[in-house]
Formats: sequence, C-alpha cells, structure tokens
Amino acid sequence: MFFNSLAFAIFLPIVFFLYWFVFNKTKSAQNALLIVASYYFYSCWDWRFLFLLVFSTFLDYYTGIQIEKGKSEQNRKFWFWLSISVNLGFLGVFKYYNFFAASFSELLNSAGFHASPILLNVILPVGISFYTFHGLSYVIDIYFKRIKAERNFVDYSLFVSYFPLLVAGPIERATHLLPQVKVKREFNYQTAKEGVCQIIWGLVKKVVIADTCATYANAIFDHYTSMNSFSLILGAVYFAFQIYGDFSGYSDIALGVSKLFGLDLLRNFNYPYFSRDIAEFWRRWHISLSSWFRDYLYIPLGGSKGGIWMKIRNTFIIFVVSGFWHGANWTYLAWGFINAIYFLPLLLSNSNRNNMGAIQLKFNFDSAKIIMSILYTFSLTCIAWVFFRARTITDAILYLKRIFTSKDFSFQYLDNERYSYELLAMIGLFVLVEWNNRNKIEPLSGKRNILKLALAILAIMAFGTFSDYKEFIYFQF
Amino acid sequence: MKRFLIYITKIFFVIILLAIVLDGLYTAIFMQSENRGKIETVFNSKAQQYDVVILGSSRANNHFVSQMFEDKGLKTFNYGMSGGHLFEASLLLKLMIERKYTIKNVILEADLNLSTDHEAEGIAAKFLPYIHNSKVIKDHFATQENSNELYYIPFYRYIKYETKIGFRETFFTAVHKKTNALDNLGYYPLGFKKNANMKGNLTNLNPLPNNKYYEEIKNICKINNIRFIPVMTPVCENEIGMNYFDKVKKAYPEIHNYENVVVENKYFSSCGHMNDTGAKIFTAKILKDFFNK
Repeated sequence: MFFNSLAFAIFLPIVFFLYWFVFNKTKSAQNALLIVASYYFYSCWDWRFLFLLVFSTFLDYYTGIQIEKGKSEQNRKFWFWLSISVNLGFLGVFKYYNFFAASFSELLNSAGFHASPILLNVILPVGISFYTFHGLSYVIDIYFKRIKAERNFVDYSLFVSYFPLLVAGPIERATHLLPQVKVKREFNYQTAKEGVCQIIWGLVKKVVIADTCATYANAIFDHYTSMNSFSLILGAVYFAFQIYGDFSGYSDIALGVSKLFGLDLLRNFNYPYFSRDIAEFWRRWHISLSSWFRDYLYIPLGGSKGGIWMKIRNTFIIFVVSGFWHGANWTYLAWGFINAIYFLPLLLSNSNRNNMGAIQLKFNFDSAKIIMSILYTFSLTCIAWVFFRARTITDAILYLKRIFTSKDFSFQYLDNERYSYELLAMIGLFVLVEWNNRNKIEPLSGKRNILKLALAILAIMAFGTFSDYKEFIYFQF
Repeated sequence: MKRFLIYITKIFFVIILLAIVLDGLYTAIFMQSENRGKIETVFNSKAQQYDVVILGSSRANNHFVSQMFEDKGLKTFNYGMSGGHLFEASLLLKLMIERKYTIKNVILEADLNLSTDHEAEGIAAKFLPYIHNSKVIKDHFATQENSNELYYIPFYRYIKYETKIGFRETFFTAVHKKTNALDNLGYYPLGFKKNANMKGNLTNLNPLPNNKYYEEIKNICKINNIRFIPVMTPVCENEIGMNYFDKVKKAYPEIHNYENVVVENKYFSSCGHMNDTGAKIFTAKILKDFFNK
C-alpha cells in the first residue's frame, strides 16, 4: 500500500475516523488501533514479513528490559550484544548475504579458483533497514543509560511499527517518539491542517517532480552510451530531483499523516539543494539517518576528536557505512566514498560548521558567492548521484567521462518520446517555490492557504505522472 | 474537529471543481484537434469519400503505400495505427460511418491482431476525450472494465492515460503542433535497418475464433455496402511458428493470405514490419489482385 495509491486514500480516512471518533477515550485504545492499522498496512506488502517485524519488536523490547534489569555489567553486555547481533544478523541475511557471497566468489574466480556462490532465494522485507535502526537506537540508548526501558509492549510496538514511518522512515528515536506515545493525544485543528498541507506538498514532490523526472532520467541513464553531453548533464540533474522529490515527498507525507494522529515525527529534509557546502548538505539531507550515524557510530568512534588519521578514518567509515546502508551494491559504497572525499577537506580545515545559519541574499558580491557555492555543492551532489543511480561503477565512470568527451550540447529526442530539455521549466518553477519558502516546513500553509492548495492539487492533476506508476525508491532500502 | 471537517470538505470541493474545469478545458482543446493523429482527425472531420480505407495495426500502417492506390485513381487513406488492435480499428470505422463517410473498399490487416479482442490502451485512450461527444465511442467502451469510471468521473480518463492525452498532448493540440501521422496519406514508410532484429516467434499465438471486433468490422461493411478485403500481411523468413497463418486461414477462410508474398530479410525493417521497398512490392500485389480493372 503506497502513500500515493487509492488503497491508502481509503485506508487513511477510515483509520482517522476510528482514531478520533471511536478509539479516542484512552491512550491505550488509540495505540491499540494504530498498532492494528500499522500491522495491516505492513501486511499489505507481504503478510509473512509481519512475523519478522513482530519478532524484531519483541526481541528489542525484551532485551531492553533485561539490559536495564541486569545486575552485572557482563549480564547487561550479554543482552546488549544479543540484540545487536540478532538485529544486524537479520539485516545481514536479508540484505547483504547474497552481495558478500557473490563478491567473494568473484574474488576467488579472479584469483584463479573456481567458486560458485551459494545464494539465498530471499526477498528483502520492506522497511527492514528502518525498523532495525529504530530498535538498535532504542537498545543502545538503554545500554548507555540515556533512557529507561519501555515496559508497555503496545506502546513500544507502536514506536517501532507506527505505519507512517514503518517502511521508509524517518528513523525515529525513542527519546522523541515514545514520550508522545505514552500520553493520550488530543485533536488539534492547526496541527491537523498543517498535516494536510504537508501531505499534499509531499504528493506534489512525488507525483509531479519525482515520477516525471524519473521518466526522463531513466531514458537517459538506460541509454547513456548514445546520449550527448547536454543530455547526460540533464540526466544527472533529473535524477537529483527524482530522488529528492521521491524521498522527501515520502517523508512529507509520513510527517503529515502522523500530524493527523497528533504525533510529531522527526524532520527528515530541510531543502538540501540550497546547501552551501557538503557538510551543510548532510545536515539537511535524510537528517534522521545522518544524525543516527553521527550519534551511534561517528561519536562512539571518537568523532572529530583525536589526530588527523582518526578524523580521516571516522569520516570514511561513517560515509561508506551510510552508503552501504542504502543497499548491497558497490555503487552505493562508491557514492558514500565520494561524499567522504567531498567532506574531508571541510573537516580537516575546520570549516564543516561554517554554514550553520539561514541563507540571506542581497544585491551584493557576498550573495553572488553564496549562489555560486550553492550551485557548486549541487554539482558535486549530482556527480555523486550518478554513482548512486548507475547499475555499476564502470557505468557511472563512463557516464561521467562521456559528459566531457561527447562535447555535443544539442537537444536530443529520448526513448520516452520526449526532448531531453522539456522538464527544465518545471524544475525551475519548483526550485523557485522551494526557495521562497525555505524557512517554512512546506510552502502551502499560511496565508491564502486554500488558493495555494488548489494550485498544488491542480499541479498534481495536470502535471502528475500516473500511468507509468513508480514506487518510492527508498522502499528498497 | 468540526473546523477540520469543514476544511477537508473545502478541499474536496476544490478537487471536484478542478476536475470538472480541467475536463471541460481538455475536451474543448481536443475538439479542435486537426493535425495530431488519425483518430482526432476522423472525429473532427465531416463526410468524406474514399475508394479505399486501410485499417489495422502497424502492419497496415507500414505495409500499404497509399500513394500507389492514388496513382491508380483510387482515393485512399491508410488509417492503420501502430500498436492498435482490432478494438480500435472497429471503433475508427464506426466513427467514419457516424460522420457519414462514403467508402467503397475497406482493406483490413487481419492476422496477428486476431489473437486478441482487448483494447490497446495507448491507442484506445485517444478516443476518450470524445467519450461525452459521441454515442459510438461511449457504446464501444461500455463493455470495457473501467468504462463507468472513465465516463462518469470528471478528468479521470485524462489522469489515467496521462502519457497519451495528458497535459503534454493537450498543450501540443492547443498550439496545433503537427505530427507526421497524417503524412504520406497515412502510410508510414520504414527504412532498412542494418542490425534489425530479424527473429520472431508466433508459436504461443492463436487466433481467437469469432473475434468480436473482426466480426464487427465485417458487419459494418456488409450493412454499408462496403467491399471488405481482409488480408494477412508478410513476415520475415526467420519467423518461428508460421503455422499461425494456417490457423487463421482455417478459422477465417475469407481472409486472404499474403504472408509469403515478400519473405527476404532485405525487404524488412524488423521481422514483422516491411521496409518501404517491401511495402511497395506488397502493395503492387494487392493492387493487381483486387483493383486491376
């Protein structure tokens, strides 16, 4: 059941009605309804994965309590590592086993040994990377005594399985969501209204921007060997907007839906393409994952403290692991590695926190410099996205090489029976709208709300891509 | 909560209003369409007189050279549509009759398309802007699975088939941007492709007995005193499962088998589509057999 499907358009009002009109007496009733709705939502993909979700939930719930109750450090450690290893074990089996087995076999073959890998015939359970990370952060926080273990299984289950964030995040923290789940929610008109605006803006990003860009990006990436320099540059830009519209659109819908139920989720995107350097980009892109890796990997490794080699090591670890989190493919590792290379000079020169404030533009030289730095950062990001999108690292390198060797900047007619440049006006308009609203969560709320909503709905109806249906990219992670 | 429900109601009202306005606007634009495609042109045309009308899929569109008929003094148009099935060929003929076309001969390419009686979505969609303005179109779609949604929900058809009749096509129609669909009297010549795929497999294909839309076309011709000439057109020599054409002949003895009139690969652009040279050889044969007075 996708957020942009008819099934969800029926599911959501039913759950909303039951939540506020039938199960609204107590917090327990509200939570129980949301759990049932969440499990139903998840089982719409494949009911068999529900067992994995429930097992993972129970494991972290139980080990969390055992860690807290543990009398000796050894005992606490045992439950902690049990939880960590089982969680990562699931992730390893379902997501990474085949990749490692195939890569190892290739390595042996290239060394002259004959090896055929034993591969598992399993499909990746939807959202496993997201709910595993929910559970991991919970158990780690308990182990380091940052939070208390949750004793109410229903409340804890809701924290892990809450349907708006279940399959593609944002990756929530127990410190943020659990306290909200522990109290009865009261309906708030303003919050619900903001939620509706965020849902509709998320749909604009997904249906109008991401899915339309996908048509063009696919036509260019799938035939890059016959594309000229101009089309290849456009292909990278289209993919940049496809993945942004797709994932931030999903996050907006998730946050908006959650607001309808009175629960506030972590913000996941903050206009990342207006970043002035890569460090700022990573403070604005997939914020819940970046901060997760910062808090649970980077800082425990020593962070930016220590010597220069320590800094370099930690930077590469966090970016490469972050790339690998996205999927078992060398292209994701390369994407993480490239971002580490982008980030490292900023870290080593202590300028990774230079651009913390809001962007202010005036008619002066400094503003021109800001615009140039935004364009430069966006260009770097696009180069990295080529690795993320390409099927292999070789394809990505050849794609980038061809941009410089083709030297042809004419308009090309693509395989999708459209000209390569056709989306530029739409993207330009989208950037303009986002730029003018960069200090808000989304552009639709505020003054003339109904008019802005009408324009957004008009854009969805008239410019949206519907027939060539595409699922959300991040579901595969 | 009451305020929120009023707010949601307002949004629903906006959605319905926009759907109605957009539906009216798009339909009005398509009603002006003149030079975009064969369906739009027929719908927006007045009574025409033809000696020969050619119907079928791309295997009609790429195989019958209209100019060669014209050179013999036969007013001809090739209404073959690439990707189309008999569902659309039948509807197009019905539209012509609704617009009081006078037609002496209908040549129908009836071979591979006999294996299906479903619509070809991409082509059928092009009739949908006119569903409220033509009883023929409305009735033709009435048997389809989602006909009620397409007919009654405003703007639904434009959203569902957005790649065919969505904003982009509406915009080009509004600015009268011409396509090549009507060039060469509807015939679309193919070139010789050096590395073309000259392999085909028909083994899993079976002609449907009493194909609904084939029978419809046959009946329309009978009622309107139109000479009906159904033909099977050539495929390349590497095609596997050539007994398909025998199966067609068995189920429909009246269909003329021209599958083996042109066979050499040099006359084909792909295994199921002749190039211009092949099409000319084939058309000459058709002219000789049916129009040699």
